Amino acid sequence: MAKSLSARNIIKRYGGVEALSDGNLDVHTGEVVALVGANGSGKSTMSKVINGVVVLDGGQLFLDDKPVQLSSPQSAKKLGIATVFQELSLIPQMTVAENIWLTREPMTAYGTVNRKEIDKKTNELLSLFQGTYKTDIHPHDPVASLPADEKQIIEILKAISVDPWLIILDEATASLDSRQVTRLFDLVKHWKEAGKAIVFVSHRMEEIFRIADNYSVLRNGKTVGSGKMSDINEKDLVKLMIEKESVFSFSRTGSKKPDKADKPMCLEVDGLHTTTLKGISFRVREGELVGIGGLRGQGQRDLLLSLYGAKPHSGKIKINGKESKFNHPRQAMKKGLALVPGDRAREGLLYIRSILENLLLPSWKKYGFPLKIAKAKHDAGKIAESLNLKMAGLNEPVSSLSGGNAQKVVIGKWLMRQPSLLLLNDPTKGVDVGTKAEFYSLLTNLCNEGKTILFYSSDDEELIGLCDRVLVLHDGIIRTELSGETLTKENLIAASLGISNGGAL
Amino acid sequence: MKNRFTWDFLMTRYPAFFPLILLAISIIVNWILQPNMFDRETLNSNMRVFLPLVLVAVGQAVVLIGGGIDISVGGIVSIVNTILATRVGLDGSTELMWRYVLVSILVGLLAGAINGFFIAHLRLQPIITTYATSFLYGGLALFILPNPGGGIPASIAEIYRTTTPLKLPLSFFIIAIILLVWKYISSTRYGKYLFAVGGKADAAYETAVPVTSVQFSIYVISGLMAALAGIAITMLSGSGNAEIGSAITLNSITAVIIGGNSFSGGIGGVTGPVMGAITLSIIQNIISFAHINTWWETLVKATIIVIALAAPGIINLLRRSGP
Amino acid sequence: MRRFHLSPPVAALILAVILFILSGLLPNGFGSNLDIARSQATNIVRLAVFLGVIAAGQTLVIISGFEGIDLSAGSVVTLTAILTYVYVNGQDDKVLAALLISFAVGAIIGLINGIGVTFLKISPFVMTLGMSGVVTGAIIVVNHGNVSGKVAPIMTRIIARPISQAIPIPGAIVIWVIFGVLMWLLLERTTFGKNLFAIGVNRVTATLSGVNVTGMNLATYTLAGALAGFGGFLLVGNTGVVLIQLGQPYLFPSIAAVAVGGTLLSGGKGSYWGSMAGAIVLTLITSLLTTMQMPDSVRRMVLGATLLVLISIYGRQRGLRQ
Repeated sequence: MAKSLSARNIIKRYGGVEALSDGNLDVHTGEVVALVGANGSGKSTMSKVINGVVVLDGGQLFLDDKPVQLSSPQSAKKLGIATVFQELSLIPQMTVAENIWLTREPMTAYGTVNRKEIDKKTNELLSLFQGTYKTDIHPHDPVASLPADEKQIIEILKAISVDPWLIILDEATASLDSRQVTRLFDLVKHWKEAGKAIVFVSHRMEEIFRIADNYSVLRNGKTVGSGKMSDINEKDLVKLMIEKESVFSFSRTGSKKPDKADKPMCLEVDGLHTTTLKGISFRVREGELVGIGGLRGQGQRDLLLSLYGAKPHSGKIKINGKESKFNHPRQAMKKGLALVPGDRAREGLLYIRSILENLLLPSWKKYGFPLKIAKAKHDAGKIAESLNLKMAGLNEPVSSLSGGNAQKVVIGKWLMRQPSLLLLNDPTKGVDVGTKAEFYSLLTNLCNEGKTILFYSSDDEELIGLCDRVLVLHDGIIRTELSGETLTKENLIAASLGISNGGAL
Repeated sequence: MKNRFTWDFLMTRYPAFFPLILLAISIIVNWILQPNMFDRETLNSNMRVFLPLVLVAVGQAVVLIGGGIDISVGGIVSIVNTILATRVGLDGSTELMWRYVLVSILVGLLAGAINGFFIAHLRLQPIITTYATSFLYGGLALFILPNPGGGIPASIAEIYRTTTPLKLPLSFFIIAIILLVWKYISSTRYGKYLFAVGGKADAAYETAVPVTSVQFSIYVISGLMAALAGIAITMLSGSGNAEIGSAITLNSITAVIIGGNSFSGGIGGVTGPVMGAITLSIIQNIISFAHINTWWETLVKATIIVIALAAPGIINLLRRSGP
Repeated sequence: MRRFHLSPPVAALILAVILFILSGLLPNGFGSNLDIARSQATNIVRLAVFLGVIAAGQTLVIISGFEGIDLSAGSVVTLTAILTYVYVNGQDDKVLAALLISFAVGAIIGLINGIGVTFLKISPFVMTLGMSGVVTGAIIVVNHGNVSGKVAPIMTRIIARPISQAIPIPGAIVIWVIFGVLMWLLLERTTFGKNLFAIGVNRVTATLSGVNVTGMNLATYTLAGALAGFGGFLLVGNTGVVLIQLGQPYLFPSIAAVAVGGTLLSGGKGSYWGSMAGAIVLTLITSLLTTMQMPDSVRRMVLGATLLVLISIYGRQRGLRQ
């Protein structure tokens, strides 16, 4: 039976800020609609509207052309609408099975949860992603013990366990590796054929063109265009998302990369071991922009954290020729290192504190006693300006910023310290195209100024476009190093999957 | 390596594992000091003294699992005690007693519901809310009975003291019933909700768990358990005193933490806290049987408790720095 | 458009003023006599000083987050009060040493709390509760129930008496104002303060930004202990006598003062100005109820109800539905 859901002229305000001023969306069974827009354009709010999490300030939802009220996630679920959340909706202390079936547990006649049944049904769901897990997941594993990508998969399984007719995938691919994304897309195609409708929210253009049938573009809380994917190309779609013609030409491949072979060594790593790394050795020269690639969770995070002294490790690390053994990030910072962590909400920011305090957190010591607040404000203001940070004021909390601007604060707090070696963990994850372009030129400029950058990204295009060289990690070792001619998408993917074809090692 | 795994496994999978060790140690020490500990009469008199704290700790454990804290329980115990002592009286009838036992339970539920309303519906912070209501309840108890006195008929108190079905203390059966009820509840849907709300309330809300109702319910349960404890403590003492409950609040929290639950919510159970409460009570026993100088009692007791609290942390530290 | 927003410290102060004015209208209130009103107000603030100083350490540990709380503050107050009383024994020249001893003893107890919380991962609530028992036990052992000693005349003169005939403000209030400024400096104008807020919000972010979370945590509990020790010194200077339960009645009110002052009990946000205002409000309510000659039972119930109303006004947490 064909079903449809429409949102008309949706208005939603948070405090005084209008997150949606005229949001519209149409979705029918048997189609995948891509909901696209820059950060802060209202995409997440729109998916919350469809899921009943937010109270509407105006507008109307229609189910099969009849007006409906979604007063809570419960009522949305009853109508067969399920959401895969970007911020995880899992309870870390509970097991995989308990999480997936929470509120819908199979029961015995005595009113208790039927353990056998719940395990059986959980295993059935887990088998959908069979082969993409690092180690097999058991229904009784606590969710807290799983890596981020597998948590995201559990989140997806939890949503489809309701057997909904409408599935909202809100940035669901952001923490998945390419193998998992491919599996998810196979499933999406299957669901579509089975008569389900899917709303797909993503920043990744390539994925949108791979999977979506229709698109709907939000800009500043307004729906500014919609239509068939087959009628539009990437450039026009991006144009719709950003008001002005954007600087999307971030690629450095065109410009000649200056030769850095004569520069001194900035970073030398020999035989680095941690619980996930099995002997990593590489060298980086001053002013180089070196990428780290590979599927998610192959040790990239551990590598960056170990270099930064935030993770116990063994092996030899030399910074600027001097052997260094860091036990705490403080020591690394003193040697000019900086880390932009992968999860900005949990690792990078103090959400309820002001932008000023976030920018200055690593630098307060410089301002003496009593702290010279005026000077600190001046310095922070300069950095904010140079990063083109859009904010109401330095004293506003970071929680008032959109994702891209919040990420600028994370980078800005390190730029205030003038670091010589920057470690970046997927800094463009969940960041809109406009801000991404700004980051690319920022990174290029920093390298030209002689700073060294070690840059992990889950976006292969970025690595190829920006980096001098890319080290591909697989299962805790550097599988391949790609540079110059060998740095192509085919080689990168092959190396990521552990297939060495044409690698330069 | 294998050894290490086993320890971690036991600690994480069975939160009641460590409390069980503590309980065993304290029972052995107690037994050495008091060889007739397992005599029917001694066991009965000990268990009936322990019961009020066990009851309050069970309620407190449920509140902590659900991500809250209840420091008004002592006040509720006091209200129940003063109601029974003033309304039933030393020469009241059995029928009157049962009527006011029922009233007491309703009062406990109501007091818990007030806590629950402010915390779950008005979203106030649990610690400061129940602190405020502890004044309300404690003040009310003092209003009902300004000076210690009154009581319940000795014949009724006797029932609590001497009933020993199957030659086992009455308290033993009450605790067994509570543990069975918990075993059942924790495997029902409500049990899952309880852990979900305590673990991560906003995630539970997004999953359509009725978070507000669950938060409300944990304080009602705690109020009920405090009322039962109030009844038990009145049966035990036979008399009324508005300050009778004041020590029980902090003891119940200590018992729950010794029992392996955590302030962050979403983990633990009720079995551990029951053992924690018994352990705490036995420590008191040990101190009185060890003939410790009265001046030293408080210090020794507090030191033992701090060591018991610190033990898991110390073991972890040693294991980490070890080979 | 920016909504009008009243900050909790200001709200608490306004409430205190309103309550005070209303109290003047009571049958035995100050009525229209401004002199009596002034002396009553001064007296209430003077009484609030001790709660306020004890709430200072509490403010720090609560801001440091991670369920931070110090339940040992009451017993530390009693301990340092007794130590000061016994050690000084009426001699002026021993006062400075007694002050240092109070700080040091408080700091040591705070440090033990910090070690338990930081290294042994005991939740602050039970760790400090346990310490409270240990300290109380130690006091009993040392004193055997009776204490002989005397406060020094200079302490009474500085703390309890007005600074001069012309300025009828008790020294304690002056000390409190200076103390408040120092606390503000500590929280808002030092790296320590900024890092304290940071660890209260998010310890992972703080660590990755170079904050020594372990050291901060130890320092915070140590400092909180030292401030409670200072509270005991001040308190005995005012009362002139000691009791085994001298500090305990200040314990939970010190937490309530912090909450009434708008500091988030979950950490990362708050101010000492708020706690000062909270201390004044709580002291005012208590003394009002005493003046009205309410029985203890009614006093407790009114205090409880007032607290509930206060936190209902601005202590509400974010809702689940947006």
